Amino acid sequence: MSDEKYQAISKAVTEGEDIQTGELVKAALDASLPPLEILQKGVVDGITKAGELWKANQYFLPDVILSADAFKVGMEVLDPELKNTQTGPSRGKYIIGVVEGDMHDLGKSLVVALLTSAGFEVVDLGIDVPMDKFVEAVKTHQPTIVGLGAYMTTTMLIMKDIIKELSNQGLRNNVKVMVGGVPTSQEFSDEVGADAWGRDALDAMQKALTLVGG
Amino acid sequence: MDNSKTLILACATVIEEILPLMPSDMKYEVLDFGLHVNPNQLRHILQETIDGANSRFDTIILGYGLCSQAIIGIKASCCTLVIPRVDDCIAIFLGSSKSYQNQLKTEPGTYYLTKGWIEVGDSPFAQYEKIAAKQGKERADRIMRLMLKNYTRLALINTGRYGMDHYREYARKTAQQFGLRYEEIMGSTTLIQKMVAGNWDNDFIIIPVGETVQYSHFYPDLHK
Repeated sequence: MSDEKYQAISKAVTEGEDIQTGELVKAALDASLPPLEILQKGVVDGITKAGELWKANQYFLPDVILSADAFKVGMEVLDPELKNTQTGPSRGKYIIGVVEGDMHDLGKSLVVALLTSAGFEVVDLGIDVPMDKFVEAVKTHQPTIVGLGAYMTTTMLIMKDIIKELSNQGLRNNVKVMVGGVPTSQEFSDEVGADAWGRDALDAMQKALTLVGG
Repeated sequence: MDNSKTLILACATVIEEILPLMPSDMKYEVLDFGLHVNPNQLRHILQETIDGANSRFDTIILGYGLCSQAIIGIKASCCTLVIPRVDDCIAIFLGSSKSYQNQLKTEPGTYYLTKGWIEVGDSPFAQYEKIAAKQGKERADRIMRLMLKNYTRLALINTGRYGMDHYREYARKTAQQFGLRYEEIMGSTTLIQKMVAGNWDNDFIIIPVGETVQYSHFYPDLHK
């Protein structure tokens, strides 16, 4: 019974049905299914399948955008319940944002959702985030990891300046830095002095877990 | 520069702007515009095309920029590669990397259109009707709303090489339909003129035979 419910949620997410996803997640919660299972076997499973279809060239950008939106709706319904559920100790604080001059938020939204599902306490600074705001946030929140996203070659080099500024202010040794976004690469991540590169949202989550020793 | 030994290899949208300025004895090849959404595939096809052509030419001029790093890793084993030192085609249309940076600073949430982009029809605006027909208006509207969430301006680049009325009308109508502010910005053919005349100054990267294109060719500051 419960497996059918999870599959239905997963399918709704993959197919990008936002309203249906919200309703199905709510129904699953009303039926007292464990929030963490709804998350993993339902919404995360659905977005993972959408990602696989994208990689197999069976899904195009509009399809992925709708799946990501449905995923987001599912997460919004689920999030308060997840916070009430004891899911073990937090993996630590993760600050994330898209660098200044860059307005792309789809990739970051996916990373935020997956990090949340993995147990990180995520502070999302949003898009078009100036360098000072990243630095201030690191000072204020003292996160374990700070994640920088850039989705254009015109903005990606700013990540190097941010990492430098963290060093200048004596903050670099206390925080791990991850970078990601379509034009970035492992070589680029090494060049700018990041600790890890996320090839895609799922990879970013896995690398974050590795960084915190999980 | 021997024109007959020079090949221009360009994206379908960029060739539109190059053709009117290109010497008649120069050859060219065009690659599909749609490749830009998949940098790995674009890199693969660019390399394949260069491999197939480079023994017949002294120089291949690429009508591409960094293009989401699709250009990184490209090499030609028998000829020189010349690449404009730009992030993408918008800088080519605007005439320089500097003009592009200025535009990006002024209004980052800008969707750019050119004659080529409109004609190729591979923009979200052009896809809207197709998606609406296939998946219904509601889903198509949702896709557009999500895709354009952070966009405020639709800018049509006028490079001054052709009659703009038709494209202006299309861009204006599109902006209105999707709630964006329409603006026409003046482009420039400076970069393309230099490109086809062999006047490869600091706005161009010259890659010797056998050498691989690297990110630092575009952004030497990376190593500073």
